[in-house]
Amino acid sequence: MTQIEVISRLQTIFDNLFMENVVLTPELSADDVEEWDSQTQINLEVAVENAFNISFRVGETQATKNVGEFADLIIRRMNGA
Amino acid sequence: MSTQAVPTLTSAADVLRHLKELVLQKDPEFFSLLREQTLATTNTADMLMLAALRKRAAQRGLVAPNQKSTRVAVLGGYTPHPLHELIGHLLAAGQPQNISWNAEFLLGDYDNYIAEIVEESGRLYEFRPEVILLFPSHRRCQYTGQWTDPREQQESAARTAAAQILDLCRTANARSGAEIILANFPLPARFDPGPYRARTLASDWNFRKFVNLELGLDAPSYVHICDVEFLSARRGTIRAWDARAWFETKQAYGRDLMLDVAREAAHLIATLRESPKKVVVLDLDNTLWGGVVGDDGLDGIEIGDTSPRGEAFKSFQQYLASLASRGVLLAVCSKNDHDKAAEPFEKHPEMALRMTDFAAFKANWQPKSENIRQIAQDLNLGLDSLVFVDDNPAEIEIVKQFVPEVATLLLSPDPSEYVAQLQDMHWFEPKTLTAEDLERAGQYRQEAQRQELLSSVTDMSAYLESLEMQAQIREFRSLDAPRISQLINKSNQFNLTTRRRTEAQVLSVIEDPSHFHFTVRLADRFGDYGLISVVIGKMEGEIAEIDTWLMSCRVLKRQVEEEVLNEIVRLARLRGATRIRGVYLPTAKNGMVKDHYPSLGFTPVPDAFELDAHSYQIRSTKIRILERPYDAN
Repeated sequence: MTQIEVISRLQTIFDNLFMENVVLTPELSADDVEEWDSQTQINLEVAVENAFNISFRVGETQATKNVGEFADLIIRRMNGA
Repeated sequence: MSTQAVPTLTSAADVLRHLKELVLQKDPEFFSLLREQTLATTNTADMLMLAALRKRAAQRGLVAPNQKSTRVAVLGGYTPHPLHELIGHLLAAGQPQNISWNAEFLLGDYDNYIAEIVEESGRLYEFRPEVILLFPSHRRCQYTGQWTDPREQQESAARTAAAQILDLCRTANARSGAEIILANFPLPARFDPGPYRARTLASDWNFRKFVNLELGLDAPSYVHICDVEFLSARRGTIRAWDARAWFETKQAYGRDLMLDVAREAAHLIATLRESPKKVVVLDLDNTLWGGVVGDDGLDGIEIGDTSPRGEAFKSFQQYLASLASRGVLLAVCSKNDHDKAAEPFEKHPEMALRMTDFAAFKANWQPKSENIRQIAQDLNLGLDSLVFVDDNPAEIEIVKQFVPEVATLLLSPDPSEYVAQLQDMHWFEPKTLTAEDLERAGQYRQEAQRQELLSSVTDMSAYLESLEMQAQIREFRSLDAPRISQLINKSNQFNLTTRRRTEAQVLSVIEDPSHFHFTVRLADRFGDYGLISVVIGKMEGEIAEIDTWLMSCRVLKRQVEEEVLNEIVRLARLRGATRIRGVYLPTAKNGMVKDHYPSLGFTPVPDAFELDAHSYQIRSTKIRILERPYDAN
């Protein structure tokens, strides 16, 4: 799966979880979205792990700086690397 | 990815999409579909999506009709989010029978619960919670000494750990009047320290089990245990704990257990003031035995230890008998000729249930919905106290449609699953068991005998005389508060105002001198009815207002109403009242007392009924009063 494909699937999850309309780009980060706080982040990770059938490792989602890096991390976990 | 997960995922996504459209169209159908999906969803991620959707609906002004509201504080050694979101969602959309709760939450800070409860002037008490959910930290629930310490020392540490938690509950309840829902501790899943874990209280495994046991056995009645130990064992302890979620965001439980705990907590909150179901209405053929007695005959039905299927049906009967011994009434509703249906109970040697075990027995060819209505009427119980169990989906559907108040269970095709199916319905969960609960089944059978006597005696006054009724009228005593609160919260039909009170609120009525209050106990020559009426009056100048008047429907038309009024007038006069004021607040269930006050001689005034206390003549009845409140004897 490419970064673009992952981001498009992420878009559906964001549409479901966020009240405001968020348009995902690789550069978008949590700071750009008012609603994207530590609580929403928990819900987001639960949804992403469920949807992509992956498990993140401790601390690594916090290390991603934007949607692009988050998508790359998802790809790495899908490939088991 | 497992191959089975894909279709459910797609269909969950489809439902989600459909729900979104309904939100956009502001279609009130949204709520019934949301409830359906919420009850069916077993996955935390999907549940959080549904919760988000409900919030979006609320933003657009789409809220569930007839919402009740409550105030819930969530405190503990963990991050309350997203557990509280799940609880809030399940309260709003995960309860059966069109009940919806709008919960306002106060979220405690991570691991600050002790200070939050102990500090008298903090935001916890300012919030005025009705319910406090407490999740004490597992880090304070471990033995810090040596494995080889004497057993007494280890036990005393475990008792102290439990006592400290219950102390917090006591303080929180005393300061807020809130009911406390206390989560106990999940069991650890890891092999270390090996089988030695079972031999010392110093192991987390044994220590937590011991503390949990102490919490449950010592909890006062306003503390309701959310049994996480049970839930973690049921789910599998390996899934109970998520180390990463703890390190990252201080989550209390793994995802699956989090949803289990949320469901249980929501169920506890939603049913705090509700009584359990009272009657199981049962089909016969392929429900209590295998086969059709009308076709297969007495010898042809499958029941008893001669075959595995017969054994399964017998075990279901035995479970029903055990429910009956806990005070649940059994009834039969079957499409059969009465004599054919009764025959196995009378003659088959392998049956665990007999005719005398049933409070009602309807075997005929009328629609089951009508028979069920009749059963409720015969037993003098509301339809919502009944549950209906059948193996036939068509019969379940008819009952759902024509008597929607009755909860239903469609039995699985495999009778070995019947017991577990019924056990998992959450229908017969006592909050606190009183001895009177256990006597109730006997009381209903006595009622049936009385009905027979009534039909044999035509003169009402002679009939009442023949009952040899005796009553005790007493002011509330703090010892009786649990039973009084229980009656206040479960009486629906003969209840003039339906004002609910927790045990703590009953205690505060006792302490307030502007109130007078009493309970009535009644017995007659057939048996003891126990506590059958509760009255609370409030003095407002020269007016004594009847704040609460409720009675058990089992004692209607026995002149108890008259005796209660006599006592209200006597107590009101002692307090200088010139008028008695009665209020009727209509609900869906208390139509039977609509004309209660006029029939007792009250005259209507705006929003109430009044009675002149001076001119009232004390009425004579066939009830002998053994005791009156406030030391009147």
